[in-house]
Amino acid sequence: MGPLSEFKKYVLEILTGSKSLLIGMGITFKRLFMPIVTVQYPRRKLTMTQNFRGHIEAIYFDDTKSHHCVACGLCVRTCPSHVIKVQGEKEKAGGLKYGQKYFIDFTKCSLCGLCVDVCPEKTLTFSHEYELVYLSRWDGVIDIMRRLEERP
Amino acid sequence: MNITQLPFIKEIYGFLGQDLVAAVIGILIILVFVPLNSAFLVWVERKVAGHIQLRPGPMEVGPHGILQTLIDAVKLMSKEMITPKLADKFLFWLAPIIIIIPAIVCFVVIPFSPLMQVREMNVGILLIFSFSSLTVLSILMAGWASNNKYALIGAVRAVAQNVAYEIPLLLSTMSIIIMTNSFKMSEITAAQSPVWFIVYQPVAAIIFFISTTAETNRAPFDLVEAESELVSGFHTEYTGMRFALFFLAEYTNMFIAASMGAVLFFGGWHGPFFPGLIWFVAKVYILIFVIIWVRWTFPRLRFDQLMNFAWKVMIPVALLNLMITAIVLKVL
Repeated sequence: MGPLSEFKKYVLEILTGSKSLLIGMGITFKRLFMPIVTVQYPRRKLTMTQNFRGHIEAIYFDDTKSHHCVACGLCVRTCPSHVIKVQGEKEKAGGLKYGQKYFIDFTKCSLCGLCVDVCPEKTLTFSHEYELVYLSRWDGVIDIMRRLEERP
Repeated sequence: MNITQLPFIKEIYGFLGQDLVAAVIGILIILVFVPLNSAFLVWVERKVAGHIQLRPGPMEVGPHGILQTLIDAVKLMSKEMITPKLADKFLFWLAPIIIIIPAIVCFVVIPFSPLMQVREMNVGILLIFSFSSLTVLSILMAGWASNNKYALIGAVRAVAQNVAYEIPLLLSTMSIIIMTNSFKMSEITAAQSPVWFIVYQPVAAIIFFISTTAETNRAPFDLVEAESELVSGFHTEYTGMRFALFFLAEYTNMFIAASMGAVLFFGGWHGPFFPGLIWFVAKVYILIFVIIWVRWTFPRLRFDQLMNFAWKVMIPVALLNLMITAIVLKVL
């Protein structure tokens, strides 16, 4: 390569470089006037999508006017973090068992969803709750049955 | 109303003479303007950065977050000033003071309007260049005194970078000065009353702009405080108000660089309909907006790219531009 073509390359590099810089500045200038995508949280809230995975909750069924939990304890045994506690009772001897108390310690939950998958009665689901603030460790214990009663 | 007609001011005038009073009033205005300007510019920077990244930027304190930086300043003032155990105590204390002084001194010669200039000097431009070169001394002092490897690397980079970029900066300014035959800021402004110098000297203007961006250590030339590699460069160890002084100096230097650009290439206070002050301030803030815009567009240069760009592109082009200017002036 002769000195002349070296010089040509040098000038071309400056020109193409400047052009690409200007294109970049054009892109950011357009961005300045685009609508903002951030949601200003306390003033505007998003509705969560159907497959949002919050903590678990019991599903309300119309046929029993309640949940379908039979306190089988599969969710308790499958939980890798030992988060779930279930207590069931029978109304009379030889009758069907049903879930009476259902607690999860959400501070330790890893949201794996194994309990939802394993439930034979399909009575568990993910809630769409995301505004969770705890002042103490015990506030993280969620009473699923009370949530079902107090649902809107 | 003329301020000199107030009885109190009149008495001081009679006692001290007009010169000193003008100087005192000018310095008072500067000392009020510098922090307010920095607070405003930090807010503008955060807003522009936000909108370029499709975020709103600060929104909570005051309308659209305009008071955010004032609150930050209060927070910084109330913070403890920590000196590292193995630092050079005296230099560590001195560096933030030295960085703010040249930033304030440079305001003295800036012509805001035909009448608003604290002091007219025959060597106005030289004064700005010589004082703004002190900034690099302070950065080196801060980096060395911190006794911190990141601070020292940042400071060493600052010195190499400022030495490299001072040359094209002065060369591009020289091509303006040989056109006007004057170092006076006001005469250079007056010389471009029909046509701004950017029309005659577009190459010099671009070189001046790039060099001032590098001189004020702004992105994409902010290797001095490259936070992804050097924590925050030369002011890593600084806390509280000392850190705030470095911040203040950075934004004040930006203002001075932009007002130099406005005076040299964009006709200073010249413009139709509005008074000179409004035109000057508008031009300065538009230039500052461009500096901020550049920062949020381009990634940081690598150090060898930075040096190659200075020595292989900027200096030859600036020299060539100066030569052509000189030949054209001689022939005409």
